[in-house]
Amino acid sequence: MDIKNLEKETNEGVESLPSDERRSFLKMGLAVTGVFLGGTVLSLTSVSTAKGGNSDSVVPVEGQYPYTKHYGMIMRQNKCVDCEKCLDACRETNHVPKGHGAWRTDIQERLTTIDGIEKREFRPILCNHCNRPPCVRVCPTKATYKDPETGIVVMDYKKCIGCKTCMAACPYNARYFSHDKYAIDKCNFCLDTRLAEGHKDTACAAACPADVRIFGDIKDTSTEIYQLLHEPDNKIWVIRPECGALPNVFYMNA
Amino acid sequence: MNSNFFTTVGATLLVSTVLLAGNTLASDDYDVKAFGPKSPIVWNTPVKVIFEHRTHTDEIGLECNACHGEIFAMQRGVAPKTGKLTMAALADGQFCGACHDGDTAFASDTNCTACHVVPDDPIIWTKPVKAVVFYHKVHTEEYGLECDSCHNEAFTMKVGAAEKSSNFTMKALYDGQYCGKCHDGDTAFASNTLCNTCHIGAKGYDRLMGVDPHAAAQGVDNGGH
Repeated sequence: MDIKNLEKETNEGVESLPSDERRSFLKMGLAVTGVFLGGTVLSLTSVSTAKGGNSDSVVPVEGQYPYTKHYGMIMRQNKCVDCEKCLDACRETNHVPKGHGAWRTDIQERLTTIDGIEKREFRPILCNHCNRPPCVRVCPTKATYKDPETGIVVMDYKKCIGCKTCMAACPYNARYFSHDKYAIDKCNFCLDTRLAEGHKDTACAAACPADVRIFGDIKDTSTEIYQLLHEPDNKIWVIRPECGALPNVFYMNA
Repeated sequence: MNSNFFTTVGATLLVSTVLLAGNTLASDDYDVKAFGPKSPIVWNTPVKVIFEHRTHTDEIGLECNACHGEIFAMQRGVAPKTGKLTMAALADGQFCGACHDGDTAFASDTNCTACHVVPDDPIIWTKPVKAVVFYHKVHTEEYGLECDSCHNEAFTMKVGAAEKSSNFTMKALYDGQYCGKCHDGDTAFASNTLCNTCHIGAKGYDRLMGVDPHAAAQGVDNGGH
């Protein structure tokens, strides 16, 4: 196109555009704006139907589990004595290096002194496998995603570019950069190391001598986790409910 | 100047005299040849035991050969090396038990803390789980327990004996063994409650042992961000 000549042309205006063409152009603009307003461009996760529960509970409501199997874990927190057998089992099973802030599961400790008597509380933590995972939303290469069959937040190490955006996005700090894999690594409920081989539980749950970690399909009414979650007397909570990620790791006192 | 000099010399002499007199008096006070070594004998095998020569010689009036001869060699460290210096042997009339039979002197199964020392440091068990802490002083001083309240059926006196047993579990405690003998919810808080009173965890263990905080190694502090 001759740009010099083009400048001399008069603007033909929109009046001469066929109405169909104009209409589809406007539609596209509205769609783009609407999508941004609705946030679905940012929420690359496909689980727009995911629910965390009714307004006053963090426990999922029956019939609102988006996955075929919907794996979760419930911690009977006050039974944890920080023996860390779970940590050792996890490291061994999933080849998690020691040090460098690398962990797939950890135990937090809170010390308080009341009337000169030291009190301690231990809280096991791991990836919460959220229904609305912020890490998945921010990943620029879709290297981390919700496994459509199990709801587990998994990593595709080959796609990961190590930008660590997911580490910053995770409300639970449950991700680390693995120098071995040269990618981000995280808990995947032992999907490849145990569940794929027919085990019914994760390495950490199997190693726990106090039955703190109860792993299972929260969709299956016969599982212990289902029963614990839906026992009316159990007070169930999650960590950081306010971030709206709808975690699938629950806590209670036994 | 002169008066100052004499004052100094005088003071020095006075102090030396007092010190010398003190030394002479002190050495007169305890006759090592008659009463045996002044400082107590401390055995560490099989467990820590303190023996005072002075109590037995100076205060009670025993002669050296009352014990040194058939019962104890005069040489240091012979008795523990035999491997036979146990409470069972004492009850059999050997070693201290020759006199400590309840007749001549208090029986060897009584008055434990006359010779034994209640450990200051906590007992820390790391098996079957890491880590459980036990303070002797809390139980003896605060709750006034006697040694044989526990060192009887519940626990042997030997270090690490409970840990070696495959039965040293919470299940056994619920069945009234070990700590569960008292920690049954009646005498003391039940062993299936207040877990973290005794279970200090791997982090508590590291802290007691002065190891770098475990949390740092695990990177709880948002490490890597």
